[in-house]
Amino acid sequence: MSKTIIELQHVYKKYDDFTALKDINFKLNQGEFYTLLGPSGCGKTTILQTIAGFTDATSGQVLFDGQKINDIPANKRQLNTVFQDYALFPNMNVFENVAFGLILHKVKKAEVAERVHDALKLVQLDQYANREISELSGGQKQRIAIARAIVNRPKVLLLDEPLSALDAKLRKDMQYELRSLQQNLGITFLFVTHDQEEALAMSDQIFVMNKGQILQKGDPVDIYDEPINHFVADFIGESNIIPGHMVRDYEISFLGHTFECADAGMRPNEPVEVVIRPEDLVITTPEKGKLQVKVSTQLFRGDYYEILAYDMQDNEWLIHSTNATTDNAIIGLTFGPNDMHVMRYNETEAKFNSRLETYEE
Amino acid sequence: MSNRSSKLGKIYIVIIFLLLYMPILYLIIYSFSKGTTMTNFRGFSLTHYGELFHDKRMLAIFLDTVLIALLSSVFSTIIGTLGALGISNAKRERSRQTLLSLNNILLVSPDVIMGASFLIFFTSLKVPLGFWSVLLSHIAFEIPIVVLMVLPRLDEMSPSLINAATDLGATSGQVLSRVVLPFIQPGIIAGFFMAITYSLDDFAVTFFVTGNGFTTLSVEIYSRARQGISLEINALAGIMFVFSLILVIVYYFIENHNLVSRRKKDKLGVANQ
Amino acid sequence: MKKSFRAMFYTPYMMWLALFVIAPVGLIVYYSFFNISHQFTFDNYATFFRSGTYLTMTANSVLYAFLITLISLLISYPMALVISKLKHRDLWILLVILPTWINLLLKAYAFIGLLSHDGLVNNLFELVGLPAQHMLFTDTSFILVASYIQIPFMILPIYNSLTDISDSYIKASHDLGATNWQTLTKIIIPMTMPGIKSGVQIVFIPSLSLFMLSRLIGGNKIITLGTAVEEHFLTTMNWGMGSTIGVVLIISMVIVMLFTNTKRKRGRN
Repeated sequence: MSKTIIELQHVYKKYDDFTALKDINFKLNQGEFYTLLGPSGCGKTTILQTIAGFTDATSGQVLFDGQKINDIPANKRQLNTVFQDYALFPNMNVFENVAFGLILHKVKKAEVAERVHDALKLVQLDQYANREISELSGGQKQRIAIARAIVNRPKVLLLDEPLSALDAKLRKDMQYELRSLQQNLGITFLFVTHDQEEALAMSDQIFVMNKGQILQKGDPVDIYDEPINHFVADFIGESNIIPGHMVRDYEISFLGHTFECADAGMRPNEPVEVVIRPEDLVITTPEKGKLQVKVSTQLFRGDYYEILAYDMQDNEWLIHSTNATTDNAIIGLTFGPNDMHVMRYNETEAKFNSRLETYEE
Repeated sequence: MSNRSSKLGKIYIVIIFLLLYMPILYLIIYSFSKGTTMTNFRGFSLTHYGELFHDKRMLAIFLDTVLIALLSSVFSTIIGTLGALGISNAKRERSRQTLLSLNNILLVSPDVIMGASFLIFFTSLKVPLGFWSVLLSHIAFEIPIVVLMVLPRLDEMSPSLINAATDLGATSGQVLSRVVLPFIQPGIIAGFFMAITYSLDDFAVTFFVTGNGFTTLSVEIYSRARQGISLEINALAGIMFVFSLILVIVYYFIENHNLVSRRKKDKLGVANQ
Repeated sequence: MKKSFRAMFYTPYMMWLALFVIAPVGLIVYYSFFNISHQFTFDNYATFFRSGTYLTMTANSVLYAFLITLISLLISYPMALVISKLKHRDLWILLVILPTWINLLLKAYAFIGLLSHDGLVNNLFELVGLPAQHMLFTDTSFILVASYIQIPFMILPIYNSLTDISDSYIKASHDLGATNWQTLTKIIIPMTMPGIKSGVQIVFIPSLSLFMLSRLIGGNKIITLGTAVEEHFLTTMNWGMGSTIGVVLIISMVIVMLFTNTKRKRGRN
């Protein structure tokens, strides 16, 4: 139904001896919330800057509304950016900052006042029009930066790690606000972050990146439950990753035991990795457990205990449990077939997706 | 630090401050003396100031000096600011470093070298020595200090500020006039004032390139001082001290002005709501 | 379009670099190879390095500059240290800067009065019972007045590097058991080396060539490289020889810069 607003085709970005982006392809639809997620230096900000026009792609095409915009300068592109350090002009007050883009576009005075007021109202700071930037708190600066970007009514809003400078509590609040703002405005958000929690909480679609490539795209639940490889599994959420091999479809062997699992489509005896999320492990008595581990340390995290344990082969196990156990105790761990996710080595996203289709309904 | 050593420290700086200011106070006190030497103070009088104000030659030199200082500062501030923009825009770290080292050559060169080399330069280009050669020299040695005053502000400016302005639709010219220049304005003002002081303080370079017809205060003081004590110079020192104080005060006023006026405006805005 | 806009922008600065930085240095080097009757020659350099006068002059200049630098460093470091710990240190440092706004010639002139036979310094000496001294036109007075003039320029960079030191370094040093003295010698002084070096740079190089001071305070007795350059250029009109001495000055300047340029290997940030 919704139409493509931004498309990247085979985009490369090369510096002298370093390739920042390798063959980036994606389409963004109108009105959705997208996140580029990856560790620092993975190229996510470079993608944002290529779309915004602050840097040129070495090769490949950037399309906006079906038109190639590679050669259109940043000040002529119909999209706006919220910067990591907010980039509010210190020589202007709040009103002047938000009005900046409108005044440049020669919007009439009365309309400027009205639109600035509306934008500030949207971020709940309509009382702050006459404040100086230096008098604002971090969270307020954040909102002004958003107001300044949306007042021009862009079709796409680019957000470059906008929450990274805020404290934990404020960041959570802003996650709700950003999400509802995006839904109210109905415009496309492209959000860049290295914080997987943020990405999972807000996005319609996530692109997981590493080393200049997009490794996996999908909705948050898919990415969390079915990571394509070790990197994605490790980067998104906490996980126990154990090497093993497929005995046959729906049967996997690791740590000397064979278990029933929910994955298929691999060669018999193919070496694989198994992911089990800490919250999917259930503690029982050693006799009832599928595995026996020895508790090493446990940390109380408020809503759960985080338990660090080691099995007989000295592999580390991370367990989330609502109940405490005893240090140095031997405990049993159980998990169901659906709690395990099997990953092949070096599987591309296309092959991964088509394999999943063969056995998932 | 213990009490005793901090007390010693305070005594120490008081002594050094006394030494630092003694010659200046000494000069000014004797400018009010009735006598004609800087030895016995012979009672208060303003005769030397009177003499100074009737000394047409001295007044003309004073005006020339101020004119040179203001003109050279304006030009050096413009050129230096453009230079700082160029250096900060240099893509490669290497070219930035090269530009900076070249920039600083005149700052570290001994005055006589600067004077001598400018003298050769002007004579080989057949520029007549006088007002223009002095003005050009002053512009030349003021430029690097302006660059050094403006550059830190430019470095402080987050690149995303420029990106943000462009993102909101500003052209390169608008980015410069609405975002960059207001941001580096304190550095530009500081550079302008430093340029004025460099100009007023210079003796050696002017001495070399001034020729016969044109003189600045420094050169005049030098030639009079070589002939011995004249309390008219003391009176001049008094006036120049006040002049420097005014410059300092004006500078600090301008530096704080923006902040203060913005705060005031803000208070009014809050009151209106 | 963008490129030509930029080029137009930087042209004045680049022209300045070419005309007033690179060309003059080149001209001085060029002129140093010509004698008084404009013939190409190496004689100037031969004269410089063979004659005892020029070599003693160089040695003297370096010695004077060294003493001036040392005295101003010894006075300035404690000064900067104390000021950096004061409550209103910005105000105090402003008081250090203020004398630099007074014309150098006026300060030198003040010393002619202060140091003269019946001047204030001799009056003070008489108060403590010392006989009046002949102070004007001596080496000592030249060095002291030059140090006086240079002190603020030495204090400023040291003060700046002192205020850059985070208080927690000093606390950490005390916490680990260092005395005040040990903290000063092992932590504070090493950490302010960049400030000391740039202070030395700012003071030493001009001190090599303070010709107006040596004329006014040192009489005509003290001849430094600076006075020699001035004399060759403005009195005897032997620009070739003057340029040769200039080249020597430039080379010594470069040497000083090489010694004092802090390569920020262990730089913060």
